[in-house]
Formats: sequence, C-alpha cells, structure tokens
Amino acid sequence: MKTTKLFFTALLSLFFIIPAIAQYDMTALEVVEAAYNRPTGEDMTADLEMILINRQGDRRVREIKQYGKDFGDIEKTIMFFLTPADVRNTSFMNWSYIDGRDDDQWIYLPALRRVRRISGDSKSDYFMGSDFTYDDLGDRHPHEDEHTILRMEEIDGVESYVIESIPKEKDYMYSRTVTWVAKGKWIALKREFYDDRGEYLKTLRVKEYDNIQGYWTVLHSEMENDQRQHRTVMQFKNVEYDTGVSDNMFTERMMTRGL
Amino acid sequence: MKRTIFVLLLIGLIGQGVFAQGISMYGYGRTYWGGFMQHNGEYSILQNTLDLRFDHRGMKTSLFANPVVYHYPDQDLDILLRQAYLDLHFDSMDIRVGKQQIIWGKADGVFITDILSPKDLREFLLPDFEEIRLGINALKMSFYRGNSTYEFVWMPVFQEGIMPSDTSRWAPRKPDFLAGAEYDYSNADVEKKLENSQFAFRYSLLASAADIELVAAYVWDELPTNHVYRTVDPEPNQVTGLTVRPEHHRLGVFGGSFSTTKGGFVIRGEGAYYTGKHFNTTEPAHIGGTVRRDYLHYLAGVEYILWGATVGTQLIQETILNYDDYIIQDQFRNTATFLVSKDYRRETIKLELFTYYGFDDNDALIRPSITYDFADGFEILAGANIFLGDGTGYFGQFDKNDMIYAKVKFNF
Repeated sequence: MKTTKLFFTALLSLFFIIPAIAQYDMTALEVVEAAYNRPTGEDMTADLEMILINRQGDRRVREIKQYGKDFGDIEKTIMFFLTPADVRNTSFMNWSYIDGRDDDQWIYLPALRRVRRISGDSKSDYFMGSDFTYDDLGDRHPHEDEHTILRMEEIDGVESYVIESIPKEKDYMYSRTVTWVAKGKWIALKREFYDDRGEYLKTLRVKEYDNIQGYWTVLHSEMENDQRQHRTVMQFKNVEYDTGVSDNMFTERMMTRGL
Repeated sequence: MKRTIFVLLLIGLIGQGVFAQGISMYGYGRTYWGGFMQHNGEYSILQNTLDLRFDHRGMKTSLFANPVVYHYPDQDLDILLRQAYLDLHFDSMDIRVGKQQIIWGKADGVFITDILSPKDLREFLLPDFEEIRLGINALKMSFYRGNSTYEFVWMPVFQEGIMPSDTSRWAPRKPDFLAGAEYDYSNADVEKKLENSQFAFRYSLLASAADIELVAAYVWDELPTNHVYRTVDPEPNQVTGLTVRPEHHRLGVFGGSFSTTKGGFVIRGEGAYYTGKHFNTTEPAHIGGTVRRDYLHYLAGVEYILWGATVGTQLIQETILNYDDYIIQDQFRNTATFLVSKDYRRETIKLELFTYYGFDDNDALIRPSITYDFADGFEILAGANIFLGDGTGYFGQFDKNDMIYAKVKFNF
C-alpha cells in the first residue's frame, strides 16, 4: 500500500513539475544570480540627484557625488554630499564584504570634524529621508531569499522574468518582493515590495537605463511608497566606469578632505 | 562701530573678489533666544549669528576661512575668526598651517584625548561643540599610508581656554576657602616664545575590525592652576590674607581610543594618562597650595539602534593617582552620558535627549530637544537645559540656571 502511494506521488510530480521547469530556460536562482553578477566594472563614478516628493508635491533635492570600487573581496563606496547646504561636506563610506558579514560604515560630519563609525546593521533605515532603505540600495545576496519564477512578462517592450523572492530571515523588513528582471540585460526593471505583515508597500520602477562602456546602467528610477504616499526619484548623471579610481579615495583622508 | 563696519565691508569685498578665483562661500545665519526658568524669567541668551565660510579646494592647495559675527542686544558685535588655514596637498602627505580646530578621540561630549583646541566655556557646555572649540595656530603635517594616518602638530603659541566672568551666571562655584582672596595675574600668561611651543602626535587607523587612535602630546594645561599664597601674621600665627596667582603648567598626555561594531552595537573606548597635573590642597605647607599628580581619564561607551532610535551611553571615570587626603578634588569622579535620538517624517523631525549624570554628587544636566527641518537648509530647534543637583556638583552648581530656548537657523 505504501509503495503504491509513493509511486502515484512520484508520477504526479513528474506530470506537474517537469513541464513547469521546461517552461523557462533558467531557474529563478540563476536569473537572480545573473542580475547580482551583472558586470559593473572595476570602478564607477557618478553624480546622483535624489528628489524627495511628498503627497502635496513638495520637493526636496539632495545631490551626491559617489565613487565605488571593487577590491575583490570588498566593495567600497564613498559618497560626498553636496546639497542641501546643511549637509554640505558630509561624507559617507561603506565597505561591503563578499562573505556576507555586516558592512562597515563611517560618516564624517563637518560640524563634529571627525569620522565616526556607525552601525552597519541598520539596513532597514531609510537613506537620507528617501523611500530607499540602505538595503534597497545595496546588492542583496541571492542566497538570502527563496526565489520562484511566477511568469514571463513584457515590460516596456522588454521580455522579463517575474520573480518572487521570499526572505529566509524571519524578521526581515519585507515579507516578499516581486521583481521584473530584463532577459539578457539582467536589470531589475520593476520591483514590488510587501511589508513584514504581507501588505503591499512600494514599487520601484526603472524609467531609463543605458549601456555605458559595455555595462548596463540604471540612470533614472522612481520608488513610490503607497503606504506613505511619498516617492523618490533617483537620477544618475556623468556615469563613468573603469577610470582608475585610486584606492586612496576610500580613506579617512578623503572623508575629511572632501571634494 | 567703525571697526565693525570695516570688518563687514571687508568680508563683503572678499566675498565679491574671491568668487572669480574659485572660492565658494557658504555658512549659516541663526537666531538663538533662551530664557531662564528661574531668575524671574531673565533671558539667558539673545544672540544672532552670521557664520561665513570661504572655501577653495584645488589639487595642490586649499584655503579655508571661517569668520563669525555674533550680535547681542546692547553690545558691540563680537567678531572672531574661528579658523583660517592653508592646505598643501602632496601624494601621501598634507600640510595645514594656520588657525584650525584639531579634534581627536572617539568620545561624545567629553574631552579626553581631544585636548588641542582650547574650549570656550563662557556658556558652560551648552553651545554646539563646533562653537565651544577654539581654533589654535598650528602647523599640522599628516602622512598617509594605506588606511593609516600619522599626524604631527606644532603649536607655536599657547592659547588658553575661555572661562565665564565672575559675574556670569555660568561662572563655576569657587571653593569656600578662596572667599575674599585677592587675585594676582602676573604669572597667568604663557610667554609667546619658541620654548613654550606645544607638540602633539596622533596615529589613526580605519580598518574593518576597528578604528584605532594613539596620541601623545606635550602641551600646556588650558586652564590655569590657582596657586594660593597665605599672608600670615607671625605674632598670633594667623592667616591675614590670601592671594591667588593663576598659572598654567605643562602636561604630558598619552592616550588612545578605539571604535568597533559587534552585532549591531557600536562600541567605543577612550583613555588618557596625564603627567604632572596640578591640584589644589588644604595643606598650608605646600608652596602655592598645590601638588603635582598624574591623572587618568577614560571611558567606555556603546551605541545601538533600537526601534529606529539611536540609543547610547558612556561611562567615564577620572582618577588622581598617588592620592592624598589633603587634595581638594575627590580622587575619583564618575560620570555617565545617555543619548536617545530618533528621526521622524523622513528625517525632517528629530527628537533628542542627551544627559550627563554625575554619580558622586547625584547631579545631572538633561538636554531634550526637537528639531524641525522646515525646508531644505532651514531648521527650527526648541529645547531645554535642565540642571539637577544640590548646588555643589559639576552640573548641580547650575541648578538655578534651568533654561528653555529656541533656535532658527538657515544654512546657505
């Protein structure tokens, strides 16, 4: 009796699962890894304009100059805040480790005139009052979530994998995300975020992207927070790759000296 | 008044002239009103501030100047040059020369290895720390190797800290035995000559495991020691007069600090060993009523993000080594600081509570505040400074000076 039950279970599995796998040319994990490993050059410089827009349409603009460099096992980023005036000359540095340990982060506040180490554990905090958390801005490792391909769908004329990702960590700020990954370009063109109670929270939409020096690059994206009736526009300008950014850019000297 | 107009015109002319040479100007304007909750509602401060910064940054050279104008009702403008320095940049070295604030250490609101820039304590510890620290004339050479920085500082001229006048509500309480004493300031100045230079060194490392600083300094104690001389009538062998001669003394300082993260906690530590600090005594046999003792000052602190709020505390101890009972200052002084800070409405509203607590005198300074970013660069701040204690402790001595205040600030 037990053997018969196992036989029918295996038969049903073959009947339903094999066609499901055959429907897509890649697994969900392979798609997410392709996006995660999308080439971004040895180093990158860019000007970032972040516009915060509230429900009344009031706008606040933040301008940042940022540099990033891949050191192999560490990815280092440094940001220099240019406007508004009350954050001028503030700088922020992040060291992100490939082995998954918490990032190291420092901030230089010109009023205090010293570099302070801050907790890299606050990934759920919103970045500079925007709709992006620190984790939204970083590269989340594919193995931190369970991924499933929901369907294929065209978005702005680009065929995309629609992937549902559910975090393995129980207390993570999102219960799930749904991401539209452009086939071949491996850019996340759209992402829906659901809060820790499972309620729809916000959507990220890529409005403009381009191939710069052989690297697919997001140039304009918008995060619209449905719960807070607030949105953030991020625009990258003057993006350059592989310009030979010096290792010395990511040091206490540069944080205090600024641009 | 003529001087004031001249300086303002000069600032204006410089502003006009320098833009062509790539010098940017920014700064802030601020109105700061405060009132005592006792003293019949007397104003504690009515101050308007214009803080200008002229900044030129080049590949090889940089220039920075920070003139500040303070206006108080019924007073002449108070104009100062907080900083004015030139930078020379080399591949692995910077040289900064001029008047500058030099800030070392990891502690918040406590000065342990942060001893080079003297302090303006005319309003106790209440102003922003950027305003408490005075610029000092110095030549600073910084060498860089990887994530390490080596700094050598030469300060050719000593500048003392500024204390409140005797009539100020922020004047520290004087020891009872000095009541009626006469002051003789003939030894109070440190002569401006090469041998009175101050020197300091710092090694700093920013690394994944921890940030580390090591410092050594040969400086002058920024506040003078009050040497007390008694006039004795030999016949009844009775003290008939007291003369106080303030005098600065040399200090050797060795110390360090670190900062690291562990499981979401930021852990900080800082300590310094001071050699040859002078302390007042009750023993008449000591010349000038003082003795020299080595002295330790150190802290341990932790900071954590809890429910979106930054929560932090620091435990601080000061210890006089080889202590004798005739030393007036207690052998130990134990203090703690507590911080709770949280942003709301996309970082446009910030609530903060910073507290100093003195264990020995059971006194405290409690500083709640709320800041509202009305628009980009424009902020409104309201707060209070509440002193608790019985009038004898470091904070309790200002128990009658509880105040509420508001600041409106525009950054440009």
